[in-house]
Amino acid sequence: MQTKQEQQFLNDFEQNQNIVHKVCRIYTSNQDAHNDLFQEITIQLWKNYSKFRGDAKFSTWMYRVALNTAISLYRKSSRSIKTQDISDVAFKIQSHDYDDTEEQQLKALYKAIHKLNDIDKALIFLYLEDKPYREISETLGISEVNARVKMNRAKDKLKKVLNP
Amino acid sequence: MDLLDGYKKAWDNQSEETNKVSKVDIYKMAHSKSSSIVKKIFIIGILELIFWATINIFFTGSSYGDIYEELHLNTIVTLSIYLHYLAIILFLVLFYKNYKSISISDNTKSLIAKILNTRKTVQYYVYFNLGYLILANIVVMCFVFSDLDGLIQYYNNHGINTSIANKTQLLVSLIVAMVFILSFMFLILWLFYKIVYGSLIKRLNKNYQELVKLDDNS
Repeated sequence: MQTKQEQQFLNDFEQNQNIVHKVCRIYTSNQDAHNDLFQEITIQLWKNYSKFRGDAKFSTWMYRVALNTAISLYRKSSRSIKTQDISDVAFKIQSHDYDDTEEQQLKALYKAIHKLNDIDKALIFLYLEDKPYREISETLGISEVNARVKMNRAKDKLKKVLNP
Repeated sequence: MDLLDGYKKAWDNQSEETNKVSKVDIYKMAHSKSSSIVKKIFIIGILELIFWATINIFFTGSSYGDIYEELHLNTIVTLSIYLHYLAIILFLVLFYKNYKSISISDNTKSLIAKILNTRKTVQYYVYFNLGYLILANIVVMCFVFSDLDGLIQYYNNHGINTSIANKTQLLVSLIVAMVFILSFMFLILWLFYKIVYGSLIKRLNKNYQELVKLDDNS
């Protein structure tokens, strides 16, 4: 039997799970690793859910926990079996405005993000998700001014990878 | 139009995950065992504390009581045992306090700093033990040098043939043995830390340095 808190958590998580999937996609490159990281983020979210006071939106808190887990707690699996590459299955454009060019761009974007270091990945991810600089600086623990400056540098790195 | 604008539009239009996880699976996952780096650091840290505490209690314990008594080192040994108990308690408290301060809801920089800090507590405990080991050896050696006859007497009483004429030889062999054992121990420890912590901490250190670099004004 689930408690009220568990039910609330499951509802919140289910509605926002796409955030966790996107974090997994940028920090892993095969389905096994994606599932491993997804599970670890889920564990961390649940373990700390009681401390989530609701003074921020659940999704905001979820971004932070998911990124923190990917950057700091998760260790790439040493399993050598290479499962299906994520790019073959996951990077799709919504069907109602399907555009082949866009789908190619999306694949290229994920491929380029995979080449960045962990912190630049987080910066670019938060930019793509339209997060304000205040939230980016609070999530990573750097000043807002530096978040702006370093974001531009991270974007430049990404552009170079996309268009060498 | 910026090069990234097109890619950003593709990002915004990407479809939702097709393999959505059901509530039942989320529930199962949430209650499964974590394999996070923090948990591994905690378990290894506890094992290290136990390992070093055992080594110290063993070496300063009863099995060596005879020789200490013969060399009049009893007071120093008893004192050092108490010092060790105190150090173990102190390090355990510090380790646990640092471990408990780790919160995934913190910002990334502070989270990594706290994880590395927890790891460092154990590292300092190891340094303390290594320092103690060297110091203890020097102290024992000083006593041996000042009372070599006493040691020879002790050896002879225990059926180990050592003549007074061989004093220099005995001294040299004692020093060589000590240096050899200590070097061997350092090598094993160095290898152990390289293997165990190498891969565990490497990425954390790299990410922390990256964040520190982000926050300087260059």
